[in-house]
Amino acid sequence: MKKMITTDNLTELWARLAEESTLYLPVQDGPMVLFQPWQEGVQVDLEAFNSAVSPKDIFLPREETYLNYRCSGQALELDAVEDDRAITAFGIHPCDLKAIEMLDRVFIEQDPPDNLYQKRRENTTVVALSCTNPDPFCFCGVFDVNPLDAPGADVMAHLVDGSLHLEARTEKGKALLEKAGDLLEDSTVDIAKREVKTADFGLNVKGLPEDLKSRFEDPVWDELYKSCLSCGVCTYVCPTCYCFDVEDYGHEAKGERFRCWDSCMFGHFTQMAGGHNPRPSRKERVRQRFMHKLQYYHEAYGEIACVGCGRCLRSCPVNLDIVQAIKALGGEKVEQR
Amino acid sequence: MAERNLEQLEKIREVVSQDLLSGRIELLLGWEKGHYWWQSRPLFARSKDDLAKLTWDSFCAVNLSRYLLEELKDHQKVGVLVKGCDSRAFNRLLQDNMVERDRVVLYGLPCPGILDYKLLAAEAGPELKGIAEENGKIVLKTASGEVEVKRDQFLMAKCRECLYPDPVVYDQMLLEPQGKKEAPERFKAVDELETLTPEERFAYWEKELSRCLRCYACRQACPYCSCRECFVEQENPRWQGRAYQPSENFLFHLVRAYHGAGRCIDCGECQRACPVDIPLQELNRKLIKDINELYGDYEAGLDAELEPPLLTYRPDDPAAFSEK
Repeated sequence: MKKMITTDNLTELWARLAEESTLYLPVQDGPMVLFQPWQEGVQVDLEAFNSAVSPKDIFLPREETYLNYRCSGQALELDAVEDDRAITAFGIHPCDLKAIEMLDRVFIEQDPPDNLYQKRRENTTVVALSCTNPDPFCFCGVFDVNPLDAPGADVMAHLVDGSLHLEARTEKGKALLEKAGDLLEDSTVDIAKREVKTADFGLNVKGLPEDLKSRFEDPVWDELYKSCLSCGVCTYVCPTCYCFDVEDYGHEAKGERFRCWDSCMFGHFTQMAGGHNPRPSRKERVRQRFMHKLQYYHEAYGEIACVGCGRCLRSCPVNLDIVQAIKALGGEKVEQR
Repeated sequence: MAERNLEQLEKIREVVSQDLLSGRIELLLGWEKGHYWWQSRPLFARSKDDLAKLTWDSFCAVNLSRYLLEELKDHQKVGVLVKGCDSRAFNRLLQDNMVERDRVVLYGLPCPGILDYKLLAAEAGPELKGIAEENGKIVLKTASGEVEVKRDQFLMAKCRECLYPDPVVYDQMLLEPQGKKEAPERFKAVDELETLTPEERFAYWEKELSRCLRCYACRQACPYCSCRECFVEQENPRWQGRAYQPSENFLFHLVRAYHGAGRCIDCGECQRACPVDIPLQELNRKLIKDINELYGDYEAGLDAELEPPLLTYRPDDPAAFSEK
């Protein structure tokens, strides 16, 4: 069913959705737009490109406690933490939804699956939003993402002429539109007529993953890392990075075990007990990150782990982004490998 | 396209390529163009071919001095292009005994201030195709025509209150110096924060720091953060927890700011590097202001011979905490 809602009615829609679920959407926070839970009075920006940090933290929070422990003498009590919230993820762009589907393979399509992630994902209704006006950092087309359509969405939304056009694609999506009920009108706009352009930097990544298989010792790696500052910006804004660390918070008698984001760009990421570090310098770390994106993930799941969201192009303080890496590795249309 | 000053660039290239070819330096740290006309990124040049990529335009924001920490491990002698702030960063590293003066050749570039693409695009819209510059004016080129605007309004936050655009330490000044600048609003934000109650200030910083991803870009871009091991990574004792709690965010940023007291050169690289735009320079400037009020005016990085106030002791130093 194809429906539309005028932007004047959106606040009412969000208020309704937020009654029954935690509603995440792109919210203006100080100078930038981030995915945050809706509350009355927040400034939602559906036209923003792209949220400064990817919405992956809806499913893989920066930090989450998964176990509470209590110790008394020899007795140990463990309580697993459950997250049963219903969630609505509103305004997810096609690139970010594709990235979340890449995380699904890592966290759900495993034995055993990661039940915290899985539950959150199952309890979520995704309202994907096509791209009206991508910014100069967007290059999703290189990775076959269609900025006008997100195949995995429960509801596909399009912002056209001051109205939001909604199409339910799944049962969850239909249920969401039913809640919106009287706020909706029938939509007659032909979405197919729209056209959106994104950058491609002359990239051609076909064959690159296979090619990289034998290029672990390639001299490219001796140069590419030089400007890297060893900060974690690229990994933390990236929608397909998913590494985390586990730590305890508390003391012997009582506390919690939590996991939180970690970054392969940090020196201590691979620091082992006893002091050995298999990735001792920036070179090994930069190689790891780009090989993971362009080769290891592809080898495991058949796709390059980049969706062209452009966040590393925008945020890397020294512009050592994935486009530079792909170019250095020969992934260009003109160049012959 | 961003218009490069080709005459200046040729002059720079001529000097550094001579030094690279003669062996005076083994490596030159400079800038090259990134994917966009508004990005210039670090260049590590070892040959004449490398130098063909060299650029000098209004987007050479990255402080190159910090790369000396790594590059001096692999090279005997390194040349660096330094703007005013980069040269003060070099003095900072020198004072911390992190670099050897005689293994570095500094080429001075008086800096007109770095432009901020975000501000340019906000003015011209996303259709901004490029800019041209002339006599303190910028021409914004868009699909629908050209607009002339004043350059000062489009400087990066870190450059707006710059006092020393000219390098303060160098072996060779490559371009015409422009003299000290005025920065009347340098402490404006700090003054405003000081009028808040402690509770209001706490709420302000709690909100700003709530965005912190703890990616440590501020630290990694900073010329005063040159410790071989940061307290953040120390395992025993463990000072810094990994949790994204307000208390942990405060711990990191406040310890870092206090560590920079009297050592921060106010280059603003921390704030520029921050992916979530936390106003870190306000924290650092609060410390600069306090140090100036307590110990007399001191500009970190200006003179490597002048000891930072907190690294010296004088019997008449104020003891604000013990005075009632």
